Formats: sequence, structure tokens, C-alpha cells
Amino acid sequence: MVVNKSSLSQLLIWRSLGLRMRRVMVVFLALMTGVAIITAMTSVYFDINIKMSKELRTFGANFFVGQGTGKTLTIDDYESFLHLAPKDSVVSSSPYVYGLARIDLEKVVLMGIDFSQLKTLVPFWKVKGDWVDVSFDEKHAMIGSKLAKKLEIKVGDKINLIEGRKQHPLIITGLIDSGASVDNYLVVNLSLAQRWLHKSKNIDYMMFSLLNNQKQVQEFSHVLQKNQPQRVIRPILKVSDSEGKILDKIKILMGVVSLVILVLSTLCVNTTLTSMVSERREEFALQKALGASNKAITKQILMETSIITLFSTVVGLALGYGLAQILGKTVFDAYIDMRVQVLPITILSSAIAGFFAVVIPTRKAISYQPARVLKGE
Amino acid sequence: MSDIVIETRNLCKHFDKLAALDEINIQVREGEFVAIMGASGSGKTTLMNILTCLDTPTSGNVILDGVDTADFNEEKRRVFRSRKIGLVFQQFHLIPYLTALENVMLAQYYHSVTDIDAAKKVLAQVGLNKRENHLPNQLSGGEQQRVCIARALINEPPIIFADEPTGNLDEENENIVLELLENLHKQGRTIVMVTHNPDLGMRTDRIIRLQHGKYIGEKVIAHA
Repeated sequence: MVVNKSSLSQLLIWRSLGLRMRRVMVVFLALMTGVAIITAMTSVYFDINIKMSKELRTFGANFFVGQGTGKTLTIDDYESFLHLAPKDSVVSSSPYVYGLARIDLEKVVLMGIDFSQLKTLVPFWKVKGDWVDVSFDEKHAMIGSKLAKKLEIKVGDKINLIEGRKQHPLIITGLIDSGASVDNYLVVNLSLAQRWLHKSKNIDYMMFSLLNNQKQVQEFSHVLQKNQPQRVIRPILKVSDSEGKILDKIKILMGVVSLVILVLSTLCVNTTLTSMVSERREEFALQKALGASNKAITKQILMETSIITLFSTVVGLALGYGLAQILGKTVFDAYIDMRVQVLPITILSSAIAGFFAVVIPTRKAISYQPARVLKGE
Repeated sequence: MSDIVIETRNLCKHFDKLAALDEINIQVREGEFVAIMGASGSGKTTLMNILTCLDTPTSGNVILDGVDTADFNEEKRRVFRSRKIGLVFQQFHLIPYLTALENVMLAQYYHSVTDIDAAKKVLAQVGLNKRENHLPNQLSGGEQQRVCIARALINEPPIIFADEPTGNLDEENENIVLELLENLHKQGRTIVMVTHNPDLGMRTDRIIRLQHGKYIGEKVIAHA
């Protein structure tokens, strides 16, 4: 009965792997670790723009729109500008209104802002007490630390805005230490400021905090320059550029780490495969003596390595995905989305690692001279 | 029994300045059982390697089954070896993870088609029909050598070369293996055996003697 040659070929491959399970496991673990780390790093790499950009929004607003010469800005302009912003790029934004107002003791600069956006728009403010975080809250206010010190106002104190006989009571919830001019202002709800300062719908300027992982700041700037050329439109480059530089550096770091891991995995696999081939020198020499061609020996080693690489890649991908989630949750407090680009990159990396690792052992295997090896030399 | 199946003409093999074989001219006829004998360093293994196409001569001709293989490249030697030559080694050289049957079929695999019935038949011929599914480490030395002989026979090569086939065996197994070779000879096989054991040499048809790489004579054995 004639037996299919491929079945003996498969037998040779599988039995050979089974006989050297310990070494096979070393190759498997080395490749799997490499694949897992590359999967994790690549997943984070493709997701880091979003995640890091959100993290980097702690730098605060990165886009300013002012009135422009002889022009006024209104709350309607603000709403329309918001619609012009690149999709899903606005992390927070607020119109700003300024004016002088009298309180119980003296005149102060009143700043109106959208309280609901405050924490994400100016996350670097140090607030003693509490933030006001409801947009329609007209009963509470925050006050700059220098002004509070000057007026001897503490958290919980009541003050009154006064205009003639009209009064508006406010309770101070927090003292602001920003290191900027805000430390001298009384910060109130936007609509209250507009009403109290008789500005109707007018605002002084608006600030935006935009994601900048895909150059949205520049994109928004171009759109506004085109639609509203008369306005003062100013990306805060110091902030947006810093984001880009940090992202680039983190990406380079991840690339270097991945490359180092890939090289280490390749070296480990190469060393182990070379040992395996040395162990099997008699086997290969015998096969050559029986008529095996160099091509047949090469094919056998490549098939064995491919099988280990395949299993390593599948398990490594799964582990890498898990590792990416751990990294994402630990560093960004968010899960990492698996991007489709991760698969070809990881598979290609493991194939390259496997290929480079197998070149030297294969050359060694086909270089064995049966006459010498089989004689025990 | 008159056709020449092995002939060397002025065969030389040099390793740098050392002449491992020097002007060797021998002939082996079809169906002959010949022993190549000599002390260590006499060149018998070098001669065997060249005759089995595992090595090439420095000069001279090697005519095997009517074909001069002296100038064959590695690929031609490989193909010729798998088709025309059966090899029996001193150290058996069986693949440890293949059964006796699979080890025999391995020679078929690199030759032409793998035929399980033919492999079983040849194992039965060497008396191992009940051990065909055993791994080498489950077989005795004598049994392993018999698997090695079965592997050499499976492709029905015109010449069988045995390099110290009993060198690793005890006396009992030595006899079994030698009887097996004698039986194959009786069936008409051409067998060339390298040995340093004079008793084994006496059981062949003819002993070719080498010394320091030179042919120093031969002795025809008269069997009763």
C-alpha cells in the first residue's frame, strides 16, 4: 500500500517537535513574548494618540479666538465656531466675559465663564475649596487667591454684587491659585456676568481645548481663518506643539522597546534553534546520506519553525491584547482599542523574527557532511 | 557473476599533502561479498566514503553500476546514492522518534514512493515483523542493526555497503547480522563490507587489503 509522502513528512515534523518539547517550548516562549509585547506596544501605539492627547489636555486650552478689530463676538458666534471644530476634537471650551463690578467692599474684575467646562479647560488651577461645576449656578462663585487675600475673603463667605440698589448674593466655594491674572478676579457664571455687565449676548473671547492627535488644532485654525478671517484666531502653539513632541517621543520609545524585544526574541530563538540543529546533526546527516536534498532539509526546518511561530503568534496576539488592556488601564485609565493594523504588523514581525532566527541553523544543518558526521567526527 | 559493478581506476584521495588513498585499482563483481580490511588509517573508510558517493576523489575514476561518479557534483551524488546504494552503518543511525517501520520508509521517502507493504516485507525479511512499531530505543543493538539493513534493502539497490556493521554488537548479534548479510549474498546481492575483524573477513568471498592508503593485495576465500 502506497502511503502519501506528505504524511511521512508531517510525521517527521511533528514527532521531531514532540521529542524536543523543552527546547520547542523555549522557542515558543521567546517568540510568544516578543509577539505579545509587540502586539501590546503596537496596540498602544495606534491608540496612544487619542489616549495621550486626552491626557495632555491637562495642559489646558490650546486655541484662542478673539474679537478682531472693530468686531464684536457673541454667544451665537461661539456656538457656530463649535460646529466648525473638527469632529469629536473639542474636549472643553468656554466663552469669556470680563468687566468691572462692585462688591460689598470695592470694585473688582468680574470674569464670566462656563463653569461646567472649567475643570477640563483650566485643569492646572489649584483650587482651595470646591470648583463650581454647574453651568447655570448663579449662587456660587470662585475668587482669585490674591483678590481673596486682599479682601480677606475665605471659602464659604458670602459676598454681594452691587449695582445701585440691585444686589446679587454669592457664596465663595473656592479660592483660585493659577499663577496668572485670574488670581485677581472674581469668577462667576457666564450668563450672570453678561447680565450684570450689561453685555447681553456679547463675549470678549473664547478658548478651546482641542485634541491634537491628528493636527486638529491646525485644521480648526485653517477652517476659522477661511470662515472668519476678521477674527483673531490663535492656536496656542506652545501647548499644541508640546503635545506633538511628547507623543512623538513616546512613540519613538515604544518603537525602540519593540525593536529591542524583537531582536532579543530573535537571538533567543536563533540560539535555541542552533542548539536543536546541533543536537540533530546525525539525523540531518543520515537524511542526506539516504538522499535528502538540501531543499528537503531546509523545508523540514522551516516547517518546524513555522509551526512554532504560528502557535507563538496566535497565543502572543491574545496575550498582547491582554497586556495592552493592562497598560491602557494602568497608564490611561482606559481600555486600548485593538486596531486592524496591529495584526499585519505583529504577524510580519514574528515572521521576520522567525526567518532571521532560522537562517543560521538551517545553513548549519545543510552544511553537515554525512561522511564525517555519521562516522562521529 | 561476471559483471563488474564496482571499479576504481587510479583512485587517489589527498587531504592537503597526506595521501589517504593512493592509486587504488579494485573491482567488485555483481553478486560478490567483499571485505575491505586494513588497520586504522589504512584508508578503508575513505575508500568506502568515495564508493558510497558520500565523498569525492582527488583524482581517478569510480565506476559504479557502469557510471563514472568521480566528477559528480553533490546533487548528482545524492540522487545516485539514493537509487543505487544501500548503506549499513556501524552506529545504526536510526531516527529516534520514528518506529522501525517508519525508519525503513524514510529511505523510500527520499527515493521514490513510500510503500508500507514493501517496508513491512523487508522488515520481515530481517526477522523484525513483530517489532515494526517499536522505536529504536525499544530495540536491542542487533535489532537496530537489522532495521538499518532493512532500510538499506528497501529500495533494492544494486550494491550494499556495510561499514563495520557488527562493530557495536555483541557476539550473538554479530552472528545474526552476519548471517543476514550472508543470506542476502546468497540471494545475489552485491555486498561490500568494511571491517577490521579477520573472522568476519573470512566469511566473505574476497578480502581486499589496504595499508597506508595503498592497495596491498587481496585474498579469495574458499568456502567449503
